[in-house]
Amino acid sequence: MNVLPVFFTSVLYNLRYAPLIIQIACVFIFIAVTCTITAYLSILIGRYKGHRHEKKLAKLHPLIDQLLLDNVLMNEALIHEDAEEIPVAADAFHQPVFRKRWARQALIDRLIHYRNNVSGIMGEQLRNLYIQLELDKESLKKMKSRKWDKKVQAMAELTSMNMSIADVTILPLTNSRNRELRAAARHAYIKLSKNEPFKFFDLATEPLLLWDQVELFRIISTTEKIAIPNFAQWITYSSNKSIISFCLKLVVHYNQISAVPAVEKLLDTRDHYLRADAINCLGKMQIAEVEDKLIRMYNSQPLNCQIEILKLMGRVSSGKHVDFLRQEFLHSTDFDLRKNAAKSLIKNQWAAKNLITELVDTATAENKRILKHCMNPLIKF
Amino acid sequence: MSFWQTIGRIYESSVFVYGTVLLFIYAMLAVFSMIAVRAYARKDKLGQGNMLNSSPLAPGITVLAPAYNEGLTIIYNVRSLLTLNYPKYEIIIVNDGSTDNSLEQLITEFELVQVDFAYNVKIKTQPVRKIFKSTNPAYAQLMIIDKVNGKSKADAVNAGINAASYNYFVCTDVDCILDKNTLLELIKPVMQEGTKRVIATGATLRIANSCEFDQGVMTRMRPPRQLLPRFQEVEYIRAFVLGKMGWSLLNCVPNVSGGLGLFDKEVAIRSGGYDHSSFGEDMELMTRMCRYAHDNKINYAIRYIPKTLCWTEAPESVKIFNRQRTRWSRGLAQLMFSHFGMFLNPRYGKMGLIIFPYNFFFELLAPLVEVTGIIYYIVMICLGQINWPTAVMLLVFVYTYSVMITTIAILWDQLTFRYYRTWKEVAYLCMTPFMEFFLYHPLIVLFSLRGYYYFLTGKKSTWGNMQRRGFRQNVPGAKTAAV
Repeated sequence: MNVLPVFFTSVLYNLRYAPLIIQIACVFIFIAVTCTITAYLSILIGRYKGHRHEKKLAKLHPLIDQLLLDNVLMNEALIHEDAEEIPVAADAFHQPVFRKRWARQALIDRLIHYRNNVSGIMGEQLRNLYIQLELDKESLKKMKSRKWDKKVQAMAELTSMNMSIADVTILPLTNSRNRELRAAARHAYIKLSKNEPFKFFDLATEPLLLWDQVELFRIISTTEKIAIPNFAQWITYSSNKSIISFCLKLVVHYNQISAVPAVEKLLDTRDHYLRADAINCLGKMQIAEVEDKLIRMYNSQPLNCQIEILKLMGRVSSGKHVDFLRQEFLHSTDFDLRKNAAKSLIKNQWAAKNLITELVDTATAENKRILKHCMNPLIKF
Repeated sequence: MSFWQTIGRIYESSVFVYGTVLLFIYAMLAVFSMIAVRAYARKDKLGQGNMLNSSPLAPGITVLAPAYNEGLTIIYNVRSLLTLNYPKYEIIIVNDGSTDNSLEQLITEFELVQVDFAYNVKIKTQPVRKIFKSTNPAYAQLMIIDKVNGKSKADAVNAGINAASYNYFVCTDVDCILDKNTLLELIKPVMQEGTKRVIATGATLRIANSCEFDQGVMTRMRPPRQLLPRFQEVEYIRAFVLGKMGWSLLNCVPNVSGGLGLFDKEVAIRSGGYDHSSFGEDMELMTRMCRYAHDNKINYAIRYIPKTLCWTEAPESVKIFNRQRTRWSRGLAQLMFSHFGMFLNPRYGKMGLIIFPYNFFFELLAPLVEVTGIIYYIVMICLGQINWPTAVMLLVFVYTYSVMITTIAILWDQLTFRYYRTWKEVAYLCMTPFMEFFLYHPLIVLFSLRGYYYFLTGKKSTWGNMQRRGFRQNVPGAKTAAV
């Protein structure tokens, strides 16, 4: 019985009179052993908790799915009537399990999952259920959290359920220093703001990252009943280059011809990346009127802009500038310029058939290879 | 005090300082990696990863995979690459003059025909013989380059870079199996960066030896059953999850693994591409890209993600393992020698002041310090000048510390991703660090010294022959079978 205390007493006694280095080593050994044991326990507990959570969810999900099928998705009365007039049978969801927070969160996630996959009346009914079960209060509570990830989660839930959030709550977050929070707020604002969904374009001081642009583009292009503004206003007046670049992509997507004059003005900007984006935009919109201007400015442009100009000639395919393309193809020293000139020549084939045949017959081995490359339908780029 | 005693004291003090700094760095990396891994996990939990999959704004990516005599697994591996989730990508397989039937297999399997491709030599390589594209629209994104053997992976990848259409390329080995969301995950840090230009992104690699695969897709993840690959699994977890994630927080990632990495094509080309004479071509390229970025005042970043996106076959025999590690250490010695001008050079910022000194002192010199330490120990024992309680206590300290650091790496990995299905598998892995110190680490030291010797004597060596066994496949009717 007394073995352990005796052992520890003897160890402590010996340690007290050991050299300093041994004492330090002993302390560190103790720390290392404790940390290792704690790490193993944490792995054990972490995995056990995760396993239990998964098991509970595996039991709960079929229950939620069944309740949703019976009361909403397969409820024929709801299909034929105006969704807003008939209340969903929310009583079925008043079960003891849903008093627990994790279960309510699972219900929210499931509702969002179904709402993302159905549209029309069913979607509205799922939203009604979300409100009737007071799950919106859960989301709003998270919105007030001090943790940024909770706020992001709340905004994602409210946006998915098309719940309004006051502009005063969201707008300050659209310029937050936290990247995730800023992006989530911008997405929510575009989706939920009833008056001016694009207002933050005026206020944005932080750059719109490529990642944010992808999500915004998706939201703008998939949200129903969104009033698409004339993007020329930001192309002309915004001092945020990333906003201008993003607006150019939206102009192409919506084929917004009314914005073309504003895009043309960008050809004179000093930022050559933005200029290249503007030429790309004009090319994708097939604006033939700018070809002459672009040919005049071609020689003074950096490589990225020159490539975009050559691409534009191919996209527009007006057949007016095949000689210019021929000249670039034959005389340019840069491989990429020659390749893009050749590609655009092929796209202008209707007007340059004889020229292309002549070039294939007379070009150098490398140029001939470039032409064959561009003519081969198996090669995309 | 005699001359030798003075030398002995100086040596002891130097090793003491060296060891203390190294232990401090590991402790620091453990903390930094925890911060970085947790930050990644919080963002990842928001689950926006797949939205890029349907976006027209996704940047294009070229996947480059060089192959030399990989006939055993090449079809499965190309199929695996074809299953990647990404809206805009191409796959370039570079057949580096294989002497087996790899090319014939590819031509038949993927209905390839030779095309006149405008191949532009931006980086000099051995001549390209033929370029093939598939006539089957299902394989439209696949391209095969057949070239003369360049006796190095670097030469093959450079040929792929020359033919790449997109601004980013992912470099992998054809024997690696990638997660289907690899491209989505690797491009994310590039798109999420505001002020810096991300020139490379890496992700965690793991050992594939005991995992199960179906048509080139990983279906069941397991730690390797054999001891040697399992040691390597633990080493990979420590190196990627703890080491590289820790360095990533400081924007000081020393290397993006050759097994999987995404690179900015323009910077890679302007830096001269992979060095075909290097034995550690991945680290060498990374160093040159950083050097180029510094020289041209590019505000760059190198990012790492802790998620496992790639599984590679690890050597199971000591002979093959020896060959691999000898090559790696030789590459490190080459790198240090050829870029020594960056060492403690403030012009190269963190690269010159942190990464290079760390690699020099704690990667390159570590095996030498260890071996001289052991020799010193033996001499002291022979002279009867060892203070045994102190010596044993310090040995126990180093042992427990090394076990702790590896266990922490496993902990971050487990808490964040909970890889492996069963408790038994995790326990298996957790036991490995206890043996690593005695069985695995001495091998690493020995093979490193061999690599340095080869570097100093200039012994000739070639790349490629890893003697692969192929991955386990799920075959209907049979539990598992080797390819």
